[in-house]
Amino acid sequence: MAVDFLDRYSRGSTWCHRWPARLKIVLTLAVIVAVVLLPISLWPIHGCLACLIFAAHAVADIPLSYLLRRVALLLPVVLLMALCVPLSRGFSGGWELASALVARALLTFLAALWLVNTTPFDRLLAAFRQLGMPRSFVVLLAFTYRYLFVVFDELARMRTAQRARTFGRRSPWAVWNSTVQLVAMLLIRSLNRSERVHQAMLSRGWQGEFRTID
Amino acid sequence: MHIADGFLSPEVCVATGVVAAGALAYSLRQLEQTVSSRTIPLTGMLAALIFAGQMVKFPLPFVPAYGHLLGGVLAAIVAGPWAGCVAISLVLLLQMALFADGGWLSYGANVLNMGVVGSIGGYAVFAAVRRLVPGHRGIVFGSVVAAWVSVVAASALFCIEFALSHPGGGFSLPTVVALMTSFHSLIGVGEALITGGIISYVVAQRPDLIDAAARPAGAVAGVGRLVGIGSVAALLIAAFVAPFATEGADGLEAVAKQAAFDSLEHPPRVLVLDDYSVPLPGVGLSHQFWQRLSVSVAGVFGTGCILGMTWMFGRLVKRTLPATEGGHGG
Repeated sequence: MAVDFLDRYSRGSTWCHRWPARLKIVLTLAVIVAVVLLPISLWPIHGCLACLIFAAHAVADIPLSYLLRRVALLLPVVLLMALCVPLSRGFSGGWELASALVARALLTFLAALWLVNTTPFDRLLAAFRQLGMPRSFVVLLAFTYRYLFVVFDELARMRTAQRARTFGRRSPWAVWNSTVQLVAMLLIRSLNRSERVHQAMLSRGWQGEFRTID
Repeated sequence: MHIADGFLSPEVCVATGVVAAGALAYSLRQLEQTVSSRTIPLTGMLAALIFAGQMVKFPLPFVPAYGHLLGGVLAAIVAGPWAGCVAISLVLLLQMALFADGGWLSYGANVLNMGVVGSIGGYAVFAAVRRLVPGHRGIVFGSVVAAWVSVVAASALFCIEFALSHPGGGFSLPTVVALMTSFHSLIGVGEALITGGIISYVVAQRPDLIDAAARPAGAVAGVGRLVGIGSVAALLIAAFVAPFATEGADGLEAVAKQAAFDSLEHPPRVLVLDDYSVPLPGVGLSHQFWQRLSVSVAGVFGTGCILGMTWMFGRLVKRTLPATEGGHGG
């Protein structure tokens, strides 16, 4: 499986990619806080921030089609949640708050997307550590990130095997049932693997506490 | 399910962040202090599994849409409440840092809703049910009930956070609660079906995995379980009682009613029925309608579904498959 399927554009080499990760985290958080704190009546400022965010995406070489695809995934959920506000008043008001919610959610999402797609995950981890995240949590994060790829490979193998054995039209119940079994089997295999990993860690001197080089 | 940035005010984000950080730090310490060093690799692997499991699409019957696992209760049952809470927090952080799923500011709120209420609260419900119903059937029954309850409780908690973020912000809180909990009681049915299915399969194939993981953690829970059950119960009560507490809570409506009393000779009952009706021909969705919807959909439908599922999974567990080798692959 391709190693970069998770954060596809984060390993680019543009000007933005070379900035220190801590700076980018602080900058992005500042933009997000500004978007959330400013009242929506100051919409020209929001417009400027939107231009800034799009410019940043352009500089970082993140294609527009990717952004649109991601926004298309997010938008239905945000719209549904925002729609609850006017719906709660029988559509006789609350549109201002609802549109403010959608605008803020989109802007902050795009800002976060820029951060995520200009910074590889290992740099983010190091920055988290420097910003004071507990060491055990950072090590667990690194551990999880490493095993994501293993688990995804396992899942892909199991799906291939399943497709090879089942073909033709099946009832919805059969599809549901086999999907449940797929995840359950993945769970059992992952637990078995964690057992083996634990054995390997013990044989290399693991005593239940984290030691890192830095 | 994840809360995007922009929905909650920074104050609420900070407050939920502090609570979530406290719960997470406590869970991490519990994890590091457990007797077996096995829980550390187990937690990381479990987080990776939940991350991958959330991407498996479950085809919904009758509608051309997909559902997916959320996994809070599943993680807690397999590895205990503390490891479950840490695993869900890891999943949320990875999704935030890899996909920008879920806001950076609202990470604390997401951990609180899904990790703390979802895993620790869900485990509390699971442990309570398990005490009542013995044996493997209790495990499956408990997982189904806990999965549904955790989803509805998380949605109720989101409504409270949302209301605190926008004081006096042009919406009627009881109706928002009614909408959100009704909607999430349906999602909860999906989550309960998936979690119950997975747990009953694992119990049939490898009962030792669940038994071994659920026992010692259950002994640890103690006070935490009380707190967990208490907070989940409070949230559920808030979800189902809030829609009825309309009179005092809705300032605008009260003002409107007052005005109507003073100037016009409107009987107040007619006004209450009218002022929330949707301006669609023939469709009058009144406030009372939403109240009834909340209680009937969220309460009766959910409970009925859970009873049905419990019966179904109970039968599935009874005809246990012959134990096959669990995982020779990989």
